[in-house]
Amino acid sequence: MTAHAITYCFEEALASLWRQRVSVVLSVLTIAAALLVLGGFLLVTVNLDRAVSKWSAAAEFSVYLHDGITPEQRVALNTLLDGHPAVSSREYVSKADAAARFRRDFPDLAAGLADLSRNPLPASIEVRLNPAKADGAKLDGFARQLLQAGGVADVRFDRRWLERLAQIASGVRWTGWILGAVLLIASVLTVATVVRLALHARRDEVDIMQLMGAPIGLLRGPLVVEGILQGGAGALVALVALYAGYVVLRSRFLVVVGPAFEAAAGFLPIGLSALLVLVGMGVGCAGGFLAARHVR
Amino acid sequence: MYGRGIYALRDVSLVVEKGEFVFLTGPSGAGKSTLLRLLLRQELPTDGTVKVAGRDLAKLTPNQAQAYRRAVGFVFQDFKLIPSKTVLDNVGLVPRVLGATSVQQQRRTFQVLKWLGLQHRMNAYPLELSGGEQQRVAIARALVNEPALILADEPTGNLDPDLSLEIMNLFRDINARGTTVLVATHNRELMRYVGRRAITLDHGQVVETS
Repeated sequence: MTAHAITYCFEEALASLWRQRVSVVLSVLTIAAALLVLGGFLLVTVNLDRAVSKWSAAAEFSVYLHDGITPEQRVALNTLLDGHPAVSSREYVSKADAAARFRRDFPDLAAGLADLSRNPLPASIEVRLNPAKADGAKLDGFARQLLQAGGVADVRFDRRWLERLAQIASGVRWTGWILGAVLLIASVLTVATVVRLALHARRDEVDIMQLMGAPIGLLRGPLVVEGILQGGAGALVALVALYAGYVVLRSRFLVVVGPAFEAAAGFLPIGLSALLVLVGMGVGCAGGFLAARHVR
Repeated sequence: MYGRGIYALRDVSLVVEKGEFVFLTGPSGAGKSTLLRLLLRQELPTDGTVKVAGRDLAKLTPNQAQAYRRAVGFVFQDFKLIPSKTVLDNVGLVPRVLGATSVQQQRRTFQVLKWLGLQHRMNAYPLELSGGEQQRVAIARALVNEPALILADEPTGNLDPDLSLEIMNLFRDINARGTTVLVATHNRELMRYVGRRAITLDHGQVVETS
C-alpha cells in the first residue's frame, strides 16, 4: 500500500467515524468495558504476583521453642539450621524480645499482656531464607524435620500461605482471561456491526470505487482502520478508567489493608498497558475485517 | 442466465473491433445493460466467454478484475459520482490513491477537465452541478486513465436533447482519438445523428446489426 492509500484509508475512516459518532461511542464504550474487566483482572493479578514475589524474597521460618528447651537442644537446633543450604541467617528472639515486639506492634493490647502473671509468648528463632535456594517442596520436608527436633513447639513457614496466594493469583488470572475473552469476542461482533453499518451508509461510494477499479485492499482498508481506531479508543478509555479506579482504591482501600501490601501495589507496567491498547486495536481490527469481508 | 430458466442474454455472439464506435440498442429488458455489465465484469456469464483484448474476463482474479476495470472507462445514466468528493477527487481519486505520479496525474486530470469545459468546477461537489455537468464529470473520470475501451449505459437518459447531442459529440471525439466506444441507448435519433454501427437486442438475443 502506498502512503497515499494509507492516508486515504485514515481520512475515510475518520470521516466515517464522525458520521456515525453515536453508534461509534457505544462501540468504543463496549470495547472499553471489556478491556476494563480484562485490565482489572490483570491489575489484580499483577499486584498479587508482585506481592508474592516481594514476600517470597523475605520468606522465613519461625521456629517456636518450648519454654523448657535445654541448651543442648538449642545447639542441636542451631546446627541443623546452619547446615541447610537455603538458610541465609537466623535470629534468636527471646520471650522478652517477643513481648517487646508485641507491645510495639499492638500498643492497644499491650496493657492486657502486662496484666498477665507470666509472659505467654514463646521464644523463637527467625530463619531467613535464600530465595535462590528456597525450593518449596524441600523446605516443607525441612519444616517437618525441624518440628520433630527436640525443644521445638511449632514451625511456621511463610511459603505455605504465599503459595496459596500465588494459587489465588493464578485463579484470578484465569478467570480474567476467560471472562475477558468472552467480552472481547462480544466487542469484535459489536465493532463488526458498527463498521457494517458504516459500510451500508457508504455502500454507493464503495460500489463506485469498485467500478473505478480500486483494489480490494483499498475498499476494505478504511473499514479495517475504522475498527482499529475504535478498538484503540476503547482501550485508551479503559486504561484511563482503570487508572482512576486504581488511584481511588489505593487511597481508600490499601491504606486499610496495610502498608505491607501498599508497598507492593502499583499500576500496570507500561508494557502491559501498551499490550492492552494493542489488544483493543486487535479487537477493532478483527471487527473491521469481519465487516470488510462483505466487500468483494 | 437468471434462475429458473430465464435468460438475460442468449446465443449472443458479436465482435467489436478496436477503435470502433458501436451502439447497443433495443427495448427495456432487451439485455443491453447486462451486456455492458458482463464487459465491466460486474457479472459473469453462466455459459460462454466474454473476451476483451483477448483476455477471458471470467478467468481474472478479483485483483486482476480491478486492474482491468482501471483500464476501462464507464459512464452510467445516473452518473455514479461520489457526492462527498469534489469533481477533482471524483475524476482522479483512484489513480491518485494508487500512487500515480502526483504532478503527472494532476496534469492529466486538469487536461481532461479542461477539454470537457469543467476546469472552473474542479472544486465543486456533484450535487452543486447540473445534470449535464455531472455527466461530463463522469466522462472525465472515464477518460482520465486513457482507456482503450469506454462503456456507456444510457449516458443521455437523464439529459435534455441539446445536452444529449453535446455528450454524443464528446463520445464521437473520444472515438476519433482511437478509443473503442460502446454505448447502450434506446434513443434512435441520437444513433442516426452519430451514424455508427448499431446492434439491436431483444429478449436477450441479437436481432439486427446495421
